[in-house]
Amino acid sequence: MNTPHVHLLLNHVPTVGTVIAVALLILSFIRKTDGLRRVSLELFCVIALITLPAYLSGLGTALQFEQNPDVVKAIMDRHHDAAVFGSIFMVLTGAAAWLCLWQRRRLGRSSGAMIGTVLVLSVLTVAAMARTASLGGEIRHPEILLDPEAAAAVTAEVAPSFMSAAAIAQFVTGHTWVWPTMEALHFIGLWLLFGVVMLVNLRMLGMMKSASFAAVHRLLPWAVLGLGINLTTGMMFVLGAPGQYLENIAFFWKMGLLLLAGLDVLYLTVFDAPWAVGPGDEAPPLEKAMAASALAMWVGVMYFGRMLPFIGNAF
Amino acid sequence: MDFLLRLEQSGFATWVREGGTIWGYPFILFCHTLGLGTLAGVNGSIDLRILGFAPQVPLAPLKRFFPLLWGAFAVTAASGTALLIADAATKLASPVFYVKMVFVALAIANLQMLKTQVFANPRLDEHDVPGSARLLAATSLLFWIAATTAGRLMAYLGPVSGLQ
Repeated sequence: MNTPHVHLLLNHVPTVGTVIAVALLILSFIRKTDGLRRVSLELFCVIALITLPAYLSGLGTALQFEQNPDVVKAIMDRHHDAAVFGSIFMVLTGAAAWLCLWQRRRLGRSSGAMIGTVLVLSVLTVAAMARTASLGGEIRHPEILLDPEAAAAVTAEVAPSFMSAAAIAQFVTGHTWVWPTMEALHFIGLWLLFGVVMLVNLRMLGMMKSASFAAVHRLLPWAVLGLGINLTTGMMFVLGAPGQYLENIAFFWKMGLLLLAGLDVLYLTVFDAPWAVGPGDEAPPLEKAMAASALAMWVGVMYFGRMLPFIGNAF
Repeated sequence: MDFLLRLEQSGFATWVREGGTIWGYPFILFCHTLGLGTLAGVNGSIDLRILGFAPQVPLAPLKRFFPLLWGAFAVTAASGTALLIADAATKLASPVFYVKMVFVALAIANLQMLKTQVFANPRLDEHDVPGSARLLAATSLLFWIAATTAGRLMAYLGPVSGLQ
C-alpha cells in the first residue's frame, strides 16, 4: 500500500463521513433524540482526527506526482487549496463537537450556542469537502471535466487567497521570525497538553485518588487547547517544508501515535467506564491499562517528534 | 566557564556531539523534552488548578506530584548539562542561553515557594485559595512560558551551532 493508496482510502472519511454526521445531527433535532446527537458529535471528533492522515497522505501524494506529466499541477494545487480550507473547517468542527461532549459531562447538556456552532461549522465543512472531493477527482478523471481546456489553464482561487497552501508556505518561510515563533508555541503547547494528560492518566493509575475522574476531567480542555496550538503550528511547519516531514518515517510514526492518543482523549470524555471512578476509588485494571498506554503514546509522539531531524535523512 | 569549555573537549562531550548514534545527542535531547514536558506541564496543571480551574480537584493531594516534579527536574537538568558541554562554546556565547537560565531559576524558585507557602498548609482545602497563592501560580506559568520560549530561540538567535 503506497501513499496515493492510503489517500484514496482515507479521503472518503471527511467527505462522506461529514455528510452522514450532519444528517444525524439534523435528524436529532427533528426526532428530538439525544442519543443520535451524541453519536453525531462523536462522529465529528473521529472524522476530524482521520482528516489529519487524509490530508497528509494527500500532500505526500502531491509531492510524488509533482513531476508526473500525466497530471496537471495547477489542478492538483487547486485541490490542495480546497483541502487546506476544508481541513481547517473539519478540525474546527471536531474541536467544537468535543467541547459539546465535554459540556454534556460538565453540565449534563451541551449549550445551544455550542451545538449551533457545530451545526454551522459542519455545514460549511460539507460544502468545502464536497468542493475538495470534486476538484480532487478532476486530477485523474478527465471524463468528468466539463471543459478540459479551461481546466488545463486553471488559476481560479477556490479558497481565500490568504488560506491557500502557497500563501501559508510563503508566510512560514518568507519571514525569519515565523518559524522560531511557531517552534516556541509548539513547545508551550507540548507541555500544556502533556502536563494535563499526565495528571488525568496518573489519577487513573492511582495517584491522587481522593479526586474523582469527573473532577480531573475538567482540566481536559486545556489539553485540547495545547493540542490545537500544536496542530496549528505543526500544520504550518508541514506546509512550510513538506518534504522534511512527509518523506520521514519518524513523522509517520508520530502521526500514527497522535491519532491513537487523540482517540484516547475522546475515550476519556465519551465512555462511561472512567466516569465511574469516584473520589477515593481505585480504577479498574482495564482503565489503568488504558491510562498507561495513553501515556506511552504521548511519550511516543514526543519521541518521534524529537527524532524528526535524526531518523531518516529528510532534514 | 573555562571548566565547561575544557569539558567540551572531553571524550563524553565529543561522543554526545559526534558519536553519530541515536543514543547520543538525539536521545539526550528527547530526555530533555520529556523532562521539560513533565516538569512545566504538571507544574502548569497545578497552577491552573490554583487559579480556579477544575475546582473539585482537592488541592492538598497535588502535593504528591512534587517528587515527580523534582525527578523531572533532575532529568531535564542532567540532560541539559550534557547538551551544554557538548556545545559549550556556542551556548555560553549566546545571550539567549542566560535569559533561559534566569527564567528556569525563577520557575524552580517559584515551584519551591508553591511547596513551602501553599502546599505546606494541611488545611489548604478548607479555605478559598489566597491571593498570594494565585499570584505564585500566575508567575509560575509565565516563567515556564518564558523559559520554553528562550530555550527554543537558542536554536535561532545569537550564535547557533550546527547541532539541531
